[in-house]
Amino acid sequence: MATVHHFHPTLVPADAISNHVVALHELARRAGHDSRVYAIESSRDLDGGVQPYRRLFRAVQADDTLVLHYSMGNEVFDQLVKLPARKILIYHNVTPAEFFSGINPHAALHAQLGRKQLATLAAPIDLGVGVSDYNRRELEAAGFARTAVVPLLIDWTAYDAAPDPAVLAQWAAARTKILFVGRISPHKRQDDLIRLIAYERACVDPEAQLILVGSYRDQPQYHGRLRALAEELGVAQAVTFAGSVSLAALVAYYRTATAFVSLSEHEGFGVPLLEAMRFDLPVIAYDAGAVAETLGDAGLRVKGRDLAEIAELVGLVAERPELRASLALSGQKRVAEFSTARVEKRTRDVLGL
Amino acid sequence: MTTAPSTSGVDVDALMNEVRARIALRRETGRYSAGVQAALDRPLPGGAPLFTDDLADPLRALPEVIDADLTYDPRSRKRYAGPVITLARRTVIWLLRFWVGDIVERQDRVNRLLYAAIRQQALAPSPLGEARLAAIESALARRDRDENAANLEWRYLAARFSGVESQIRAQAEPFVALFPRGGRVLDLGSGRGFVLALLKEKGLDAYGVDIDGAAVAESRGRGLDAREDDAEAHLRTLADQSLDGIYSAHVAEHVLPGKLVEILRQARRVLKPGAPLVMATPNAATLTVSAHTFYLDPSHRRPIPPELFQFYLEVEGFTAVEVRSYARSEERLNEDGVPDGAIRDNVRLLNRVLFGDRDYVVIGRAPTTPID
Repeated sequence: MATVHHFHPTLVPADAISNHVVALHELARRAGHDSRVYAIESSRDLDGGVQPYRRLFRAVQADDTLVLHYSMGNEVFDQLVKLPARKILIYHNVTPAEFFSGINPHAALHAQLGRKQLATLAAPIDLGVGVSDYNRRELEAAGFARTAVVPLLIDWTAYDAAPDPAVLAQWAAARTKILFVGRISPHKRQDDLIRLIAYERACVDPEAQLILVGSYRDQPQYHGRLRALAEELGVAQAVTFAGSVSLAALVAYYRTATAFVSLSEHEGFGVPLLEAMRFDLPVIAYDAGAVAETLGDAGLRVKGRDLAEIAELVGLVAERPELRASLALSGQKRVAEFSTARVEKRTRDVLGL
Repeated sequence: MTTAPSTSGVDVDALMNEVRARIALRRETGRYSAGVQAALDRPLPGGAPLFTDDLADPLRALPEVIDADLTYDPRSRKRYAGPVITLARRTVIWLLRFWVGDIVERQDRVNRLLYAAIRQQALAPSPLGEARLAAIESALARRDRDENAANLEWRYLAARFSGVESQIRAQAEPFVALFPRGGRVLDLGSGRGFVLALLKEKGLDAYGVDIDGAAVAESRGRGLDAREDDAEAHLRTLADQSLDGIYSAHVAEHVLPGKLVEILRQARRVLKPGAPLVMATPNAATLTVSAHTFYLDPSHRRPIPPELFQFYLEVEGFTAVEVRSYARSEERLNEDGVPDGAIRDNVRLLNRVLFGDRDYVVIGRAPTTPID
């Protein structure tokens, strides 16, 4: 049987794209394929190991399938698309450069390169796959002739993990806990969440807390400025930068929080929206990018950025058990539509695995 | 903020209304203070605003961006090669300083010129836009003149066709009794003040409003309280439930239907619960009126059938709405010598349709419980 090769420049733990690479790898293996994962840099444990990308140039045969995950520009892609195999590009979206301009020139430059390079990959790629229709449309705009949508393949059983008791204990006493999960980055607009918590504490619940789960390693400038903003607004004690956390800790945060609030201005899919709903956590999200697609009819989607209104909405959700219950119900229905079995079937059908 | 519909059984609109009500309450109680607003508007400290925020309001952001200082630190922190690298960088900078300086200087001029040009474009009136605006305004004015015959010699028209004071008073008299003694009553469209005088004589605290400045001046000359204003505009200035009654004769047929609805809506708001609204207009059900005499006033818009007027009041929340016609036609078919039977019935029918009452009033009372 032909071999399936998966590549993403970086593979790290607790990252949606890395998780997806691994999920597709495992799916291909279960389907009886010889499947291998490659990266330029990897800190991820993997059954079978992550191979250095250079091996691709020797390993790939004409009847193999090469699955390229794309979320950033990298010159390696220019070389990889010259390989003879059937080539599938899975587009996780590239955050537009203007979100980083003036705050992280390095990220802005890479974002710009990433978008430019995407267009050059259109011709040699056999199939462009968006993890959302929002992403698929960008592929089409970049010149990809054959495109399809296949949602992210999420192994939901992983979330059955026991919650980290330390996190649960730490947060047990707090009342209103607003949670956002996503790396600290200007496009995720954690600065607006900090402004929102200032309103929440002044007007709704003086004890309200904001928990920001997500790595701040890549955006030290923005992270520093967020801290300064929290200081200036007098809410430094109410804002927790949890950083990158273990799955057990993540489960605990989802279980302990009052509401999941996303003010992100750019989302290619938005896994945490689904994760929150998996844990019956009410979701309030600003409608940007693929958020509407991922939420479907579930959650509370807001089209404006009136922070006072969103903060009051959190207050209403917090105090109404019946509202939380109906949001949880629609959330569960939505999560079921992204069930592992369903997405697996779709993935097999489209990718031909 | 609008939220998307949700099938989770959550009434999102109701939720948002509650949210807005809460915000209003927080503002009232002072919780949502200027300080809280300042927190919501607080710029991100430690550097330039987020570029995406700047893009949303570029004209505001541009001057700051143009004036922003750029600093470059040529020092290298490498352990051994550091000083050499630093020296090399400084040397290159020194060698290129005039060239780079010229480029920067020129770019700075380009930036400022562009900003000034864009700003000028944004703020300056566009010649094409101005011309079109002027054309639209003059077309509107022309239309207004044409529709209302503003250029007509109205004094002569009034002299030939207006009713006489005694007749106007006599027709209003039966309805004046509807207003509570001593009550504050507005005569909307008070004209030369004939009914206003009557109201005053009957002991009511009455005042009038009319759009015709000359008529208002005449009323004042007679010692009456009359003001020059548009009916709808005046009603909007009044407080809720501040009037004991409104009398308005021959206004409705001068305004467009939407404006009439707005006048009724405002009237309901400013009338005290149960207070009467009395509006008189030519009786469209009488064909010699709706096909002939109605058009003796070129500023009449369209006849209003009594059933329709009654409906307008009812749908706007007035209660106990009734229509009363008056002013019998002088010219009628003679029924006296006609023998009983089909011919007499026909003559009666013709009299009713052709020579019925020439005016009617519609009377409604402001609801005792406000609708919203």
